[in-house]
Amino acid sequence: MLINSVVLVLREILEAAILVTALMGLARIVGLGLTWFFAAAAASFVGVMTLATVFGPVTDMFDGTGQEVVGAALQYGVYLVVLLVIIDTRQRVDGRRYSQFTASLMAIAVAMAVTREGAEIQLYIGGFMAVVEYRQAVLLGSALGAGIGISAGIIFYWTLVTRPRRWAYPLCLLCLCPLATGMIMQGTLLLEQAGWVQAGEPVWNSGEIISEQSIAGELLYAVFGYEATPGPLLIGLYGLGLALSLLASIFAIRSSTAGGGH
Amino acid sequence: MRWVALGMLLVAWAASLHAAPEYEVVIREHLFEPAELVIPADTRVKLVVHNRDATPEEFESYELNREKVILGGRTATIYIGPLPPGTYPFFGEFNPRTAQGKVIVE
Repeated sequence: MLINSVVLVLREILEAAILVTALMGLARIVGLGLTWFFAAAAASFVGVMTLATVFGPVTDMFDGTGQEVVGAALQYGVYLVVLLVIIDTRQRVDGRRYSQFTASLMAIAVAMAVTREGAEIQLYIGGFMAVVEYRQAVLLGSALGAGIGISAGIIFYWTLVTRPRRWAYPLCLLCLCPLATGMIMQGTLLLEQAGWVQAGEPVWNSGEIISEQSIAGELLYAVFGYEATPGPLLIGLYGLGLALSLLASIFAIRSSTAGGGH
Repeated sequence: MRWVALGMLLVAWAASLHAAPEYEVVIREHLFEPAELVIPADTRVKLVVHNRDATPEEFESYELNREKVILGGRTATIYIGPLPPGTYPFFGEFNPRTAQGKVIVE
């Protein structure tokens, strides 16, 4: 149970931690600072507790598939808000790379990214608190998993913010693009699971090269929404999502030369 | 009139999306019952999972690309397929040592 808890919580934490720390890195790189993160943490806490509380009724919605529909809405929402964040960090005439909305957008993206994963962890830990024989192992394993996941996020954050100033901003945006697009992949898989869309026959099977069950596969899924057997719908949406985010990034990066700023 | 027709089309589309043969699985004492489920090839099926335990369970399958938390004492729906013939394992992520099962597609 100890190892189960470590793996389970690490997977859930990692999915959110990398995206959250990439946004924190971007905030620091553009000079916005990190005070907005307190609001994001508070909103995340409220989101997690609310979703965990109404998880049963949510699951019962849409003929027993409400959990997927709400999860997909959150995943698509994260993508859209991150897209807005990227555009909003374009350079202004006065040299600033943020507006009055940037901090709120970042906080919303963080809260949505944390809510779904956090609710699953909360349900897992809460569910086993009543089982005395598992309680200690679940708590210890969850703490270890959370610690490893958060540490990975912190390493990622420092890797981004310690790059040379000239490269830090484009690098951060280029990391955010696949991270955010991975949310589209995960959201679409949820809608397929709910029977709302049909992904179609797999176009390829990369499971022989990188198995979804391997550590690399788990990591790639958590970070980029890796799927070994994607159908045409998933590939099309991923391509569209990645293209849009890259276009937004190019627009934001080029704004510095257009504005003649830093 | 046009909106009514559009509404009816949407309802028909939604109904066609959810039209699928139904199969039931029960989680009891961290075990899947039945542990083996035989379903037809190239057909999308509706899997109704009843969790009779007091604790939550997560239905997980890498091969089926499915992952869903089912609270204790509740029921959830998962659509799977259409799939080619083969064996597709699934497990309970919260109790992976005991909660094991497979979907056999024929």
